[in-house]
Amino acid sequence: MKAIGEFTKGIIKENPVFIMALGLCPALAVSTSVENAIGMGAAATFVLLGSNLIISLIKNFIPAKIRIPCFILVIASFVTIVDMTMHAYLPPLHKSLGIFIPLIVVNCLILSRAEAFASKNGVGLSILDALGMGIGFTLALVIIATFREILGSGTFLNMQILPQSYKPMIVAILPPGAFFTIGLLMGLFNQLKKKNN
Amino acid sequence: MKLLNVSTSPHLHEGVNVPRVMWTVVATLIPALIAAFIFFGWYSVFLTILGIITAVVTEAVIQLATKREVTISDGSAVVTGMLLAYNIPPTAPWWLPVVGAIFAVGIGKQIFGGLGYNPVNPALLGRAFLMASWPVQMTTGWSTKLYEIGTSTVSGLKTHIIEGGNQMLGNLITSATPLNLAQQVRGDIVSGTAGESAHTVFNQLSSLSFIENLFWGNIGGCIGEVSAAALLLGAAVLVYKHYIEWRIPISYIGTVAFLSWMLGGIEGLFSGPILFHIFSGGLILGAFFMATDMVTSPVTRKGRVIFGMGAGLLTVVIRIWGGYPEGVSYSILLMNLAVPLIDKMTNAKVFGFQKAKSKS
Amino acid sequence: MKNILKPTGILLIICVISSTILSVLYSRTKPIIEANNKAAIEAARKAVLPDAVKESFTAVDVNNIASGQPDFEPDSILFYKGYNQAGELVGFTYKSAGQGYSSSTKVVTMVGINLDLKIDKIKIIKQQETPGLGANCTSTDFTQHFSHKDPSTIKVDKDGGEIKSITGATITTRAVTNSIRDEFLTIKKDMMKQLDKGAE
Repeated sequence: MKAIGEFTKGIIKENPVFIMALGLCPALAVSTSVENAIGMGAAATFVLLGSNLIISLIKNFIPAKIRIPCFILVIASFVTIVDMTMHAYLPPLHKSLGIFIPLIVVNCLILSRAEAFASKNGVGLSILDALGMGIGFTLALVIIATFREILGSGTFLNMQILPQSYKPMIVAILPPGAFFTIGLLMGLFNQLKKKNN
Repeated sequence: MKLLNVSTSPHLHEGVNVPRVMWTVVATLIPALIAAFIFFGWYSVFLTILGIITAVVTEAVIQLATKREVTISDGSAVVTGMLLAYNIPPTAPWWLPVVGAIFAVGIGKQIFGGLGYNPVNPALLGRAFLMASWPVQMTTGWSTKLYEIGTSTVSGLKTHIIEGGNQMLGNLITSATPLNLAQQVRGDIVSGTAGESAHTVFNQLSSLSFIENLFWGNIGGCIGEVSAAALLLGAAVLVYKHYIEWRIPISYIGTVAFLSWMLGGIEGLFSGPILFHIFSGGLILGAFFMATDMVTSPVTRKGRVIFGMGAGLLTVVIRIWGGYPEGVSYSILLMNLAVPLIDKMTNAKVFGFQKAKSKS
Repeated sequence: MKNILKPTGILLIICVISSTILSVLYSRTKPIIEANNKAAIEAARKAVLPDAVKESFTAVDVNNIASGQPDFEPDSILFYKGYNQAGELVGFTYKSAGQGYSSSTKVVTMVGINLDLKIDKIKIIKQQETPGLGANCTSTDFTQHFSHKDPSTIKVDKDGGEIKSITGATITTRAVTNSIRDEFLTIKKDMMKQLDKGAE
């Protein structure tokens, strides 16, 4: 029962973006299209999974003093793996995500899960936590990107869904649009949370 | 029970209350609307009314949805919708003022808790939003009819277009406002790429006969900003009734005048066309009706002067070197955000207290 | 002393393991990444000079020596020559970069030149301009204006030229147009030399 809870908490109840406000930099920067959001979410989930797995495995060997450098090393290795693999096999996605792939290293969501969860729990729970958080992060990105892509380009997953006569609201795919969307969605989440309590 | 009821500004007295001020502002904005009707025709009036209705409906809907008191009768939403519509081109598509007003009232005002809590002027925020979203619709469509009025007054402009050297074709003809033209011509002159006729155009723009057109409003521009005369008429009433503070517009316009004289010329320092910069663009509208918004301007007198000077500096910088021809709206928005800081900086000394000693 | 040695040792072990994994992965992915880049740039060259065969492009560097190393791109390379199926010279391609509205990324254009020294086609291969305005420079509506123009004299309409600027994005239009022209003027002489050579 506890295991299921560790998995589902990341999706809504402790959603990394909307509730914990973690990993906002990529959430703002690469949510201009749903395609980018899925790519970014998948990359972050992979890194999260890898780092949680390794850290929960080696947590007993790491002296407390140097745990942060060790975590960062593990995370950076996984990010570099994602970066090189994506560059080789998915060049268009790599091109559009650009600098934000290497920047996953400093995504505070991943370090915070390593510090707050993986370094204290077993392998199984850590993997479930990483999966839940990764899915929650991807979901948040996709929700934000859905609004931004439809309003800002009139498309969804690059398919034209609004009539051609629609004049795209350019601000939605500019940085201010990301702030507006995240702000309004966070407000909505808080409202829902308040009602549920 | 609340013993001390602390409310935010505007703190009013003499039986003057929010609705009275707001409806007076609406009344003093009417002359500019009449001017817009004369120069641009019915469509600009239609756009303005559309902006007002949308603003009022948005306010009512949000207040009903959040179960708060519906305050549309205080006129503040009317002012917001009106000012927003005044900031868009006279032949803009109909949905532009609608979307702008929804954003201005919804995001600019109600989301912060309604009148008195908004950090920046809602109408200007709406304009900035429209500008970022639909830049093409917001910077074109000054209407060809309008332009013909403009050309006949800037004599020499047509020769300028036809002559070689520095031609201006296509877009500019349909999109030119005087500021647009001045910025581009001056840019060409300063960078040395301009033909002979560029000087003629620049001098024409700053000539007295053209300033006269600027003053009455016989030029290209947004719906409510063109006629300085109509706006000044309304502003005079507001200043006379002390509904707006003279320090902000005076320091604002004064700074613009000085800096444009110093930096805006084509023959080195201190040769800029002062009157051209005062009466063109949205300066009069912005300085009297938007910078003076009680909620978003400083409360101290010194602070208001600083506020006006800062807005003036930003306006001139944007007009002369910026990517946009007009900087009034952005400069007021930026200064709005600086208001808490200005208020803190210029706080009046409290007598009878000793300054807390720093413990460092 | 033990307090220092143990953490150092553990960090060392982690570093060694991760760098080993990464170096293996790097050597595996590097050839694929290079092949991808080469294919992308060849596709861009082919797009602006459709008559040429994709694999035929050869670099011309300052000394007019055609180098046979397509992935090695020193600054001395001026432009590329393109040949058709029969092995005849059909034109040149070059890259030009101009400062647009974005401060960090220049607008990079691939330009195809026909044998009569007119532009065949152009393609924007890199840009970070404002979406909806300057970013429209990648559309064929814009790039088709350049076809069959003389690259040594092209100018934006607002500067008295024939290139119609993108609405609300004169700066981007200017960056593209001026960079194409300026780059062409610096390499024109060498291009003419190549033409003479081809005629021999």
